[in-house]
Amino acid sequence: MNTATPSVAQERRYNHQPPSLYVVNAFYDWLVEVSADLAQAVVRDAAAVDAARRHAIAQLLAVESRLLDQGAGAHAAYEHWLTLYAEECAYWIPADSPAPDPRQTISLEFHDRRRLLDRVVRLGTGLAFSQLPASRTARQWSGLEVWSSPGRTDEWRARYSFTLVESRAGHSRVLAGWNGFVLRQIGDRLRIVLKQINLIDNQNPQGNNSFFL
Amino acid sequence: MRTTNQRSTLPVPPVAPDPWDDLVQEDRVHRRVYTDENIFAREMNNVFAATWVYVAHESEIPEPNDFKLAWLGTRDVIVTRDEESVVRVFSNRCSHRGASVCREQRGNASQFTCPYHGWRFDNRGQLFGIPGKNAYGPTFKARDMHLSRPAQVASYRGFVFATLNPDAPPLVKHLGNAARYMDAWIDYNGGAENLVLAGTQLFRLACNWKLIWDNAGDGYHVPFSHQSLLVMTHARYGGGDMTYFAEADRSKMSNSALDNGHTAIDQRAEMHAESAWQQQRPQPGREPYQDYVAATYGEQAKRVLDTTVGAGMNINIFPNLALIGNQVQVLQPTAVGETVMHWYATRRKDVDAQVNTMRLRTQEDFPVMGEMDDAANFEECQRGLFNHPEDEWVDMSRHYETGKDVAAEDGIIRGLVTTDLHMRNYYAQWKRLMQANPTLCLARGKL
Ligand code: FES
Ligand SMILES: [Fe+2]
Repeated sequence: MNTATPSVAQERRYNHQPPSLYVVNAFYDWLVEVSADLAQAVVRDAAAVDAARRHAIAQLLAVESRLLDQGAGAHAAYEHWLTLYAEECAYWIPADSPAPDPRQTISLEFHDRRRLLDRVVRLGTGLAFSQLPASRTARQWSGLEVWSSPGRTDEWRARYSFTLVESRAGHSRVLAGWNGFVLRQIGDRLRIVLKQINLIDNQNPQGNNSFFL
Repeated sequence: MRTTNQRSTLPVPPVAPDPWDDLVQEDRVHRRVYTDENIFAREMNNVFAATWVYVAHESEIPEPNDFKLAWLGTRDVIVTRDEESVVRVFSNRCSHRGASVCREQRGNASQFTCPYHGWRFDNRGQLFGIPGKNAYGPTFKARDMHLSRPAQVASYRGFVFATLNPDAPPLVKHLGNAARYMDAWIDYNGGAENLVLAGTQLFRLACNWKLIWDNAGDGYHVPFSHQSLLVMTHARYGGGDMTYFAEADRSKMSNSALDNGHTAIDQRAEMHAESAWQQQRPQPGREPYQDYVAATYGEQAKRVLDTTVGAGMNINIFPNLALIGNQVQVLQPTAVGETVMHWYATRRKDVDAQVNTMRLRTQEDFPVMGEMDDAANFEECQRGLFNHPEDEWVDMSRHYETGKDVAAEDGIIRGLVTTDLHMRNYYAQWKRLMQANPTLCLARGKL
C-alpha cells in the first residue's frame, strides 16, 4: 500500500511509511489561506476556467464521491479512491465554521496521506466494529464552482454543496454541508490536494462518522 | 416577605419501591439502572445535582465577561467570569417564564437580555431591567427574580465544579485521593496556569451515560474492541500504541479505586516505559516535528516528545469528568438512552506552537479510529439491555473473586488493569447517592 518509493536510507530513517514530510508550518499557512478563500461569500467569474478543465474537475469529483459510496460493498474502492489524491494531500473536517486554524483548535478529522492509508487498512481488517455492518451511503452534490488558484496555472479550487444519506443497521440519517477542494495537475493527472468537508452541524454532536465523508 | 438569598427546596421524584441493594449488588447491576426513566429522573437530582459535577475549565473563559454554556445533567447553566474575574454559575432559565436567556455556546458579554420579553440580567445572573416595570406590583417586587444559582461552586486547579447540594462536602474533600492523580495529570501538562482547552469534538451516543462511564475504567476491552486498530498498527508499522493491553494482566498497569467513586487507570509503567512517543501511531507531520524537537530541545527532546502524546493516565472523576491521554472528556446525559460526549483537546501555554500543533494531531487519531468502535458497542449494549427485560443483569465481577484487588501502601485499593474494580467502586458511590434524600437548593437572592 505504500505509495512512496523509499530508498534504503529512507527506510532506515523513517519507521512509518510514507513519511509525512510536508505537514509543516508552510503547509498549514497555505491551508489557512485556502480555507478562507473556499469559504468566501463572493461572486466569482464562472468563465475564468475553460469548459474542458471544468469538465475534467467535475468528472474527478464525481468519481471521488462515487468510489466512497462503493467502499461499503467493495473495500478495493477505497484504494482506487486514494489514487485520486496527491501524495501530499489533506483530508480535513473542521469542528467549526468558518474553519479555525488547525494549529490552534482540534478538528473533527485531520488526515495526511499516511493516516488515510491507516484508515483504509483499518476498515479492511473486518474488525472495525463501528463499520460492522458498514455504512451504505448515497451522495448528491450540486452547485459546483471552479476557479484558479491565485498565481498558478496548474491548480484550481472548487466547492459544491452536498447531502449524504447514510444507512446503517436499519437506521438512516442525512449529513449535509459543502466540500471545498484544491486540485492540481501533477504530471499527466489531475489530483486532489485538499478535501475540506464543512458539515452544517460541525459545532453540534456528531454520530458515527467512521466511514469517509 | 422579602428574603435575601432565598432558597427553594426542589422536590425529588419518588422511586420509593426500588430496593437499591437489589439493583446494585456487589458484583452485578440490574439492567433497569440503564433503561428506567424514573431512575434517570432521580439520577438528575441525586447524582447530577446532589454531588459535585464538572461544568467548565477556567481556560474556556479567560477574560472578564467571557461566558460559556454548560450543564448539570439536564439542567442548563451559564458559566461566566464576571467583571471582577470571579467565576459565576447560574441557570440559563429566565426567572420570568422559563426561556433560555443565552443561546450562544460561548462569547463575551457583560449582560444577557432574554429574547422573550426583554428582561435583562448582568453576568452574575442578577436581574436589573424589566421593560414596563410599572405594571408590576409590590408582591412581585418582594420576590427575588434573579437567575438561580447552584448552592455551591468551586474550582480545583482550573476545573470548575458545581452542586445544588448545600450539604455536599467541600470540593477538595469530594475529590479526596483522586486529587493527587489530577495533580499528576495537570503537572504533566505544565501545571494549572499553562493548561488550555483547545476546542471540542462532540458526539451523540444512543446509550445511557453509565455505559460510557463503565468503559472509562475498563482495561479489559482494549484488545477486542480496538482489534482493528491493533491489527492495522501491526500490519503497517510492526506494532505500537496499546499493544501492551494484549496481555494486560501481566503488564505493570494498574486500576485504582479512589474516594467517592473516582477511579484511575495508570498506564505509565508501560506507555512511558521506554518512550510514549515511539509507541504512538504516526501523526501528520511527525517526522519534521521530531527533527525540530531534536534540534531545539537537545537533552530535553525525549521528554518533550513524550509529553506531546499523552499522560498515560485515565482519571475518572465521578460522575462526568474523565482525563484521558492529554484530553478532557465530559459526559452530558440528555435522556435515559442518550448521552452527549464532549471531548476537549488541550494545549499548553508554556510550549511552542509546534508542540501544540502535534498535540492536536495526536488527539485527532483515536476518536475516529477507536472511540467510534467503543460507541458502537455501548449502543449495542443499550439495545440489549432495553430489549431483553428478562435478562436482568449486567456483570461487573471480573477479579471480584481472585483476591487481586488489594490495598497498597498508600491505602488505595488497586487491581490488575482488567479488573471491574472501577465499576464496583463507582456503583457503590452511585448507590449511596441514589439512596440518599439530599437537599437541593437554588439561590435566587441578591448577590
Ligand atoms: S421569559 Fe424571559 S423575559 Fe419573559
Ligand atoms: Fe475503548
